[in-house]
Amino acid sequence: MDELIIAGRKFKSRLLVGTGKFASPQVMAKALEASAAEIVTVALRRVDIENKNDDTLAAIDRTKYLLLPNTSGARDAQEAVRLAKLARAATGINWVKLEITPDPNYLLPDPIETLKAAEILIKDGFVVLPYINADPILARKLEDAGTATVMPLGSPIGSNQGLKTRAALEIIIEQANVPVVVDAGLGLPSHAAEAMEIGADAVLVNTAVATADDPCQMAIAFKLAVEAGRLAYNAGAGAVSKKASASSPLTGFLRDK
Amino acid sequence: MENLKVNGIEKEFSAGRFPATLDELLKILAVDAATVVAELDGQIIERKDFAGTKLQKGQNIELVRFVPGG
Repeated sequence: MDELIIAGRKFKSRLLVGTGKFASPQVMAKALEASAAEIVTVALRRVDIENKNDDTLAAIDRTKYLLLPNTSGARDAQEAVRLAKLARAATGINWVKLEITPDPNYLLPDPIETLKAAEILIKDGFVVLPYINADPILARKLEDAGTATVMPLGSPIGSNQGLKTRAALEIIIEQANVPVVVDAGLGLPSHAAEAMEIGADAVLVNTAVATADDPCQMAIAFKLAVEAGRLAYNAGAGAVSKKASASSPLTGFLRDK
Repeated sequence: MENLKVNGIEKEFSAGRFPATLDELLKILAVDAATVVAELDGQIIERKDFAGTKLQKGQNIELVRFVPGG
């Protein structure tokens, strides 16, 4: 499969995986490995100073994965910038998944604050991967501001509803000059394959893998779906038509008329 | 008693027990410094500077680390 290139860095895998909601750090580590993902997202939170054993990310082999810190929990640009800077201080990595979700019910991203934060972070040297609604104008503005990707949602975070935004995603993909990573709401491998078939450069999946009965098997299923979708996109799909178009010859039937 | 606010919690230290540096505070709290980043009164302190960062009473400290997330 062709490589994914984000901000000049090359990746073999087009599947990004989130580390949230796994039953245990061990299950998470196995599922990440099964997914063959190279980029994994993490969040930043206060240390629980009453609980000594809350370092659950020790199970991630940092030499194998690029940790992509998110700014989840941020409700505005100021909070997101603060989280991004803390994340950079913690890892030395200047990549950030910019995520600003003031609404707790649908966790939809705030477009105005996201653009504002992206501009501040880019000026400060960050590689910014913004999580956005499937809004082609916003995607264009973020790309113009210098973001490394755009990451439009398929449907609300963790909802497993699939590509509810397909028509808008197609416009974003058609117009984008940076990788389009479909993030959020992909509940099944078929959703991921669909996103890749319409030309997404990558997908990010968390809930669908982490909350499956067997996260490892589901991680493999998503890996194969992403590969299948990408191959199909590169192969170029045949035309859709309203009427049938016979696949077998329409001559030489075993009848006289 | 001398106090520090750590992650929103008021921590009191009896005389002579007040941590001199950020590094010492982490030891008292039994928090592994290797995975933590700190903010002291809104200023980010990198791990390599923990030992050299002196604390004063009444300061506001945030200790954060990576957790699983999407």
